[in-house]
Amino acid sequence: MIVAAWICLLSPLAAALAITLAGNRLSRRGAGFLSTASVAVSFVAAVVAFVALLGDSPDDRSHYSTLWSWLTAGQLDFGLRILVDPLSTFMMLVVAGVGALIVAYSIGYMDGDDEERRYFAYMALFVFSMLLLVQGGNLLMLLAGWGLVGLSSYLLIGFWHERPSAIAAAKKAFVMNAVGDATMALALFLLIQRTGSLNFEVVFPQAGSFGGWAANLVALGLLGGAVAKSAQLPLQTWLPDAMEGPTPVSALIHAATMVTAGVYLIVRTNPLFEAAPRVLELSAGLGAATLLMAGLIALVQVDIKRVIAYSTMSQIGYMFLAAGLGAYSNGMFHLMTHAFFKALLFMAGGIVIHALAGEQDMRKMGGLRQLMPRTFWCFLVGALALAGIPFFSGFFSKDAILASALAQGWYGDVLWVAGLIGTFLTGLYAFRMVFIVFLGEPSAFVREHYHELKQDVVGRALTWPVGVLTVLAAFGGWLQFPPLWTPVTTWLDPVAKPLVEASGTEEAVSSIAAVALGLAGIWVAWLLYGARTATVPRYARVQALLEHKFYFDEAYDAVFYRPAVFLARGLGRWIERPLVFGSIRELSEGVRDLGLGARRLQTGLVRTYAFAIAASLAVVTVVFVAVR
Amino acid sequence: VNAGWLTTALILLPVAGALVVWILPLRPFAVGSTALLVALAEVALWIDAVARFDFNKPGLQLDQQQNWFSDLHVSYHVGFYGFSLWLTGLTVVVLAAATGYAVWAGRERPRAYYGLMLLLTGAIVGVFVAQDLLLFYVFWEAMLIPLYFLVGVWGGPGRLRATLLFVIYTMAGSLLMLASVIVLGISQGTFDLISSGTSSSDWIFLGFVAAFAVKAPIFPLHAWLPEAYRESSPEVAAVLSGVVSKVAAFGFLRIAIAKFPGPVSDFRTPILVLAACGLIYGSLLAFRAPDLRGVIAYSSLAQLGLIMLGLFAVNDLGLNGAVLQMVNHGLISATLFLLAGGIERRAATGELGRLGGMARGRPALATVLMTTGIIALAVPGSSAFAGEFEILAGVFTTGWGYAVVGAVAIVLAAMYMLRLISAVLHQSPGPAVSEAALDLRPAELSIVVPLVAILLVLSAWPAAITDRSFSGSATQSVAQVFR
Repeated sequence: MIVAAWICLLSPLAAALAITLAGNRLSRRGAGFLSTASVAVSFVAAVVAFVALLGDSPDDRSHYSTLWSWLTAGQLDFGLRILVDPLSTFMMLVVAGVGALIVAYSIGYMDGDDEERRYFAYMALFVFSMLLLVQGGNLLMLLAGWGLVGLSSYLLIGFWHERPSAIAAAKKAFVMNAVGDATMALALFLLIQRTGSLNFEVVFPQAGSFGGWAANLVALGLLGGAVAKSAQLPLQTWLPDAMEGPTPVSALIHAATMVTAGVYLIVRTNPLFEAAPRVLELSAGLGAATLLMAGLIALVQVDIKRVIAYSTMSQIGYMFLAAGLGAYSNGMFHLMTHAFFKALLFMAGGIVIHALAGEQDMRKMGGLRQLMPRTFWCFLVGALALAGIPFFSGFFSKDAILASALAQGWYGDVLWVAGLIGTFLTGLYAFRMVFIVFLGEPSAFVREHYHELKQDVVGRALTWPVGVLTVLAAFGGWLQFPPLWTPVTTWLDPVAKPLVEASGTEEAVSSIAAVALGLAGIWVAWLLYGARTATVPRYARVQALLEHKFYFDEAYDAVFYRPAVFLARGLGRWIERPLVFGSIRELSEGVRDLGLGARRLQTGLVRTYAFAIAASLAVVTVVFVAVR
Repeated sequence: VNAGWLTTALILLPVAGALVVWILPLRPFAVGSTALLVALAEVALWIDAVARFDFNKPGLQLDQQQNWFSDLHVSYHVGFYGFSLWLTGLTVVVLAAATGYAVWAGRERPRAYYGLMLLLTGAIVGVFVAQDLLLFYVFWEAMLIPLYFLVGVWGGPGRLRATLLFVIYTMAGSLLMLASVIVLGISQGTFDLISSGTSSSDWIFLGFVAAFAVKAPIFPLHAWLPEAYRESSPEVAAVLSGVVSKVAAFGFLRIAIAKFPGPVSDFRTPILVLAACGLIYGSLLAFRAPDLRGVIAYSSLAQLGLIMLGLFAVNDLGLNGAVLQMVNHGLISATLFLLAGGIERRAATGELGRLGGMARGRPALATVLMTTGIIALAVPGSSAFAGEFEILAGVFTTGWGYAVVGAVAIVLAAMYMLRLISAVLHQSPGPAVSEAALDLRPAELSIVVPLVAILLVLSAWPAAITDRSFSGSATQSVAQVFR
């Protein structure tokens, strides 16, 4: 099992190194296959680890393995260490499984790009980093994986590095994530000070003894990392810009895996969060606020990828809501189903974009159902799962989250209402997209630019992963149907025991309300964009607010970036210049004066020089001895 | 068997090499090759020293002692500790790379040039191994002289002004240190660093601090830095920021912190505050700097501030992290300066506004610069991250505010390094970048790739250094003055 886990972790790293070092000796297609194969190997290894873990008794399913001491200082020792337990295998299966499908899809999507090799090396590097994040056996390894996924995300967002917008988006994503890394590092420093370790099994049992403020600070620091990585309020602004990257990247990193890392973090470090209940409530509140905000913004987006991006932000809001209420397994379950249907939406959307020669503006699309019926049905399944329509996968997972909220006092009720409004918005924006893109008659733009997919390697690579994901998005939710059967909760129970359990009534009430509102959203979307019997209401103020994404970018620019630039310029002008040029002026004048004086001292007699040197030494010495 | 001769050989080999290239009437190319061979032989000697060194044993190893002025208790006393062994390794590797770069780029008056480079190598190694105050001072001064010439004769158009600043600043520091050396030696009755005890004199302490702070440099004594780093040839800038600044940091550790426990705790707060200021100041100026060298120079200032934070935290985490970060930063800034040299050769400018788009068609340059830059901004999982993490975790226990400042600097580092990477590699080609500008040549790759490879190995295993710098606990080792 341990060997399988190490193979799972290292196989994509090996592929990334091999592709980088091989350079032109490896064909482009070869790089794609190597990358795919390495992630597939990871998936198989994850399955092996999972099966082996099934054989253990539920209380004995945590296995650590240390390769070597990574970093040491005196008594402190942070190992290069992985953990195989129910939570990490769950994530390994999702990451490697969905990852393998998306990398395979990339073989088709990236075909013909002249830097394909670099792309596949980055993809493999990303999968390695993500696996390190979820398998890390102490908080330092987790943080290492955390930073490396941020790095791979930067590299892939900026993959088309000649586009200024792509580079700007990549830098923005990296810097925002660096803010999260920094707050996490501070939390880790506090933990080191308190416990002298970063190993889960040492730190977690002591969480209760930190006392109020220390526990709160640790949890806040970790939450800072989580909201940055998962694009939640207030560090959410980088995600929509990240859509500058190739579409499979959006599917893998900015939908299915990396952005959900914040949820994983909260679930993994749940003892630290439970020691700070106010912070846990804060994360649930941030999740609820984000899901509403992102749902609203998604209504006015015209770029198909950005709609899906805001939808991702909104869905992760649900996961944060769940994790913040202590409904850990429900959050993880939604993470899994979301990975299926969101990857599906991105990849089906990618086929549309591919067929329209790279166009992403929905206003130019329309009527694609007639031209690409299979893609339409796949996309529709994804949208239905996203909207939580029975019995697609999102239905099971989202309703479980809402039920947990309902079971959790007045605060939970508030969040429940927010979540329900969110389901209405979800139905509305998801089907707005479906209707605009696929219904009606093909637009002039579509007729001009549409081209059929060829049924060669490229075409097959694009289609079969989408098919697999369609099946998963349609049926993956049956894995857990609370309260009738709950294998996911049972599986995760040893690592993250839920703080809340919803009753059958609460489940039923939440389901009925959520489905009703989801259908209502779809119905409104039909009236506005399908049948077009109603016109879209326009309120200029609201429109501007949503199109400017609630002005977060502008605010951050004014509050952080500009002052930093201003400060840097001020320091340069008022301190650095006087310091450097002042020294130069003083010194050159000083030296000239000294030279004039020294000319008279130049006697040419060695005796005089020797005496001068000895005398000055003596003076300095005497001065120092006296001063002591 | 005590192989003390090895330590002496590490000093004498480059000096002998310098004499050879000065005296023998070699052709220009042969001069460069000879110097490079000597530099590589020096690396081999160092590897031999690592192999012979027992990292579990406390105290001085590979040591050798000969009386010099016996009545003053001055002796030729040299030897290694774990951390000085790593810093020596940094020195010989970076100097070999710098020599290699000079051979590739071609320098005028090669006999003088390579002679000075080799002399510099010997002197720096001497500072790291000296166990006698006077010997330390002699090597310290011997190190500065070749540097004056290397900057002043082979530098760019503004070299004279740069040299003048550099000379005056460092001379002032050196004089204060000389006085401190003499007073400390006389008051202790011996100049030997091992047998002398600790001192509680604030003034002597400050004399040493002045010299080290100028040389590092520590904010606000860095006025010489931007000029010197901009006007030197790339390989000399690499040595200055990669190695010579570490000599100063080493001085803080070996003398200021170990010999003056009382003054250290008195002056700790002002020093930590200055270090934190330098960290933020350097990072902000690096973010605004208009040229490649400026970014690297100010980031170097910031990194030295960080290393000082670790040293003056005076705990296990801080000290181990500081030593690791000295090696990291030495390799990183040397690599960056050599790459900057390569870029300037191609574009005839280092101005960021005139560069750009160099990634297209130049995969080797893009990969190497990207890798180095990413390690330089301390992405979690890299060796620089390991160093920064330990330093900040260490200084966190001294005062959490310093760690918060450090955390802000992490974000700023991401901003200025990404700016540099993008300005060189990304978007459309800048006006100074012609289609014909080549990718890194095999010779250039053979110079920088080993440096990057060491950084990658250290990223996989930073404990190679942290576990082998001090025998047992760093704090104890320092408290016992490394005995």
